[in-house]
Amino acid sequence: MKPGKHFLAGSVCLTILALVSVPHAAQQTHTSASPDRAAEQQVTFNRDIAPIVYHYCVPCHRPGEAAPFSLLTYQDTKKFAEQIAFITEKRIMPPWLPSPGEPKLSGELRLSEQQIDLFRQWAKQGTPEGNPADLPPAPHFTPGWQLGQPDAILHAQKPYALPAQGTDNYWNFIFRTNFPETRWIRAIEIRPGEKRVVHHANMFVDRFHSSRDQERHPGDGFPGMELRIESESFDPDSHFFFWKPGSIAHEEPEGMAFRLDPGDDLVLNVHLQPSGKPETVQPTIGLYFTDKPATKFPFLLELQNDRALDIPPGDGNFEVNDDFTLPAEVQLLAIYPHAHYIGRQLSATATYPDGTSKNLIQIPRWDLNWQAVYYYEDPLLLPAGTRVSMHYIYDNSTANIANPFHPPQRIKGGNRTTDEMAHLWLQVLPHDDAVPPEQARFLLQEAMARHDVTRDPADFSAQYNLAAVLQAKGDSAEALQHFQAAVQLRPNDVVANNALGAVLLALGNPGEAIAPLLRAVQSKPDYAAAHYNLGNAYASEGNFSNAITEFSEAARLNPKDSMSEANLGAAFAEAGNLDEAQKHLERALQLDPQNTLASNNLDEVKRRRTSPQ
Amino acid sequence: MAFPATPQSERKSVLDLDGHSVNPFRLAGSKVVVFLFVRTDCPISNRYAPTIQDLSHRYGEHASFFLVYPIASETSQQIRKHLQDYGYQLPALRDPGLVLARESHVSITPEAAVFSADKKLLYHGRIDDWYVEFGRARREPTTHELATTIESAVARKPVPATEAPAVGCFIPGLT
Repeated sequence: MKPGKHFLAGSVCLTILALVSVPHAAQQTHTSASPDRAAEQQVTFNRDIAPIVYHYCVPCHRPGEAAPFSLLTYQDTKKFAEQIAFITEKRIMPPWLPSPGEPKLSGELRLSEQQIDLFRQWAKQGTPEGNPADLPPAPHFTPGWQLGQPDAILHAQKPYALPAQGTDNYWNFIFRTNFPETRWIRAIEIRPGEKRVVHHANMFVDRFHSSRDQERHPGDGFPGMELRIESESFDPDSHFFFWKPGSIAHEEPEGMAFRLDPGDDLVLNVHLQPSGKPETVQPTIGLYFTDKPATKFPFLLELQNDRALDIPPGDGNFEVNDDFTLPAEVQLLAIYPHAHYIGRQLSATATYPDGTSKNLIQIPRWDLNWQAVYYYEDPLLLPAGTRVSMHYIYDNSTANIANPFHPPQRIKGGNRTTDEMAHLWLQVLPHDDAVPPEQARFLLQEAMARHDVTRDPADFSAQYNLAAVLQAKGDSAEALQHFQAAVQLRPNDVVANNALGAVLLALGNPGEAIAPLLRAVQSKPDYAAAHYNLGNAYASEGNFSNAITEFSEAARLNPKDSMSEANLGAAFAEAGNLDEAQKHLERALQLDPQNTLASNNLDEVKRRRTSPQ
Repeated sequence: MAFPATPQSERKSVLDLDGHSVNPFRLAGSKVVVFLFVRTDCPISNRYAPTIQDLSHRYGEHASFFLVYPIASETSQQIRKHLQDYGYQLPALRDPGLVLARESHVSITPEAAVFSADKKLLYHGRIDDWYVEFGRARREPTTHELATTIESAVARKPVPATEAPAVGCFIPGLT
């Protein structure tokens, strides 16, 4: 009798997911006066100012929304006329970081020079109201859920108490889902709670509950600016779920729904700013289902170079770059540049195979507080061989008022708020007629993983991800080298040790598999997959008594797993205990009537019992 | 100091929350007077609430602190709720006619004004350098203008500076 399949582990991915923000009070902004005429003419609220305010300001500046005061009416707006003139001229408001240009970004919140001039004139002229007939209809906002009643609503289990005072605060809420079957999600609407203190929120899927360990008690949530979600399998879903003030949930196009399996966790990372009084924040999320499973699987390319971040105090012009050459043609859907407080200038370009290049995004003056995921109005085609580059500049001088240290100190890459980051995520859709999408994904995944390992061979995740993609491709021999490298970097990492054991088993080397698998179960005694693999290793070595112990543990930890029971039965049979063997093989078949290994072995056990040797 | 102080202003537009006309300089007796101009809906002004409360607690023995609400449309009821929400425990005044604002030479919320024990304007401007411009704040302030001014004023020493630009929401109606 042969032990069954190995439980192979897949990749560790940092899955930064996020998404869009399209404020739309979609009035056409009419600028009835040219700058010259505006200088001569009276500028009125009803004719000139209201259309701009309705479109650009009111999505946030209205009761119940994120902005601190309302600008819905003439009286409201008048009170802030000088303020508006001042901060629009400085382009502090509306908050929009990218420079104008091609390719066009969706939901651009950028005032024209003429619009800014109108605000200036209006304040200067004493805020005339104008003719009531000129006032456009007030924008209509959908109360409550912006995309209609969700198919499911999840509440954060416990509110987070934000103190009145202090610096920025980051809190993570885990939403435990428990749908009876896989759901396809077309949109997730994030309602962050007290919007006035939430600067942005980013949601991640955690299929392996890797964040739960960070909660002191289940449901408490946990602090932290950056999340590290570990995943044991390749996840075809690379979606952004992002909230910022004024944003409306992004609805995925047909065919690009996001898969939510039973029991998956959704983790919401929230950036909070104390308001001066104690606040409680308890987010809610609304899920919108579709019955159309995904047929298109976007992929998240991650350029980053945190390792290069070692910024001397006083350095106002520290450059960090990363480049990646696309192995297959893709459509670029969205882009998410990310740095912490001392980032100054963030840009990304694409250099086509013919040598010409194009800006993908340019942020001349980075401000962490207004970070966002940006969608392109039209997907941008990037042919195979295109080099995507990120170019970030950091300012660690006293001139940078966002500098977390005074006087400046050396700042390195890391996840804390006082560390820096240099990341750029690109959501792409494989788009190569010559290459099937699934193969394109593998090409991208492998190229990305090789790129990461080349940049930093001491990067554990890079080594692990490359090994996992090689193993998934069937190249166990090269996978072995990189799993070994990963384990060398983190000798006690549970997932990496288990994966190393699994690949050694796959290569027919159970003797060597035992040591890493033992390390895995010692580090995490409730890790069912590692017990299962260890059982297989012992069984292959003929050590059935140890195999029985390990399979029993795997079956106890994962009582619905038919294969653990099947292998336990097989090990009992090998050890000569046919009663126990039959019991567990029958249990395996109860759990999965299609388990042919169990049914074949059960037949064999029954045959032996009726014709004892 | 060249500020023309008009300490005994008889203008009746400075009101307490019951709507009675008051003269804060008289209420302060022989103490140094500190005005903090705030409004209920200015986010920067609100973020300063714990700092303002701390300062009034620290120096309250030697200086009289008043919150001053210079926006005419903010009602006593709104202000009372604001005081409660933000945990303020200092007297609040309404300045709908901008009498105190003009006398203090302020134009922003939050902005502080410090008057000497003999009611001469010594300083007006920011509380500290936490905010550098609208929407951009340091992690923590690096200078503490209001605290150092109060210490000098209480000690009857010259103040280090007579003004420093405040960052926040403009007070409308001053020009």
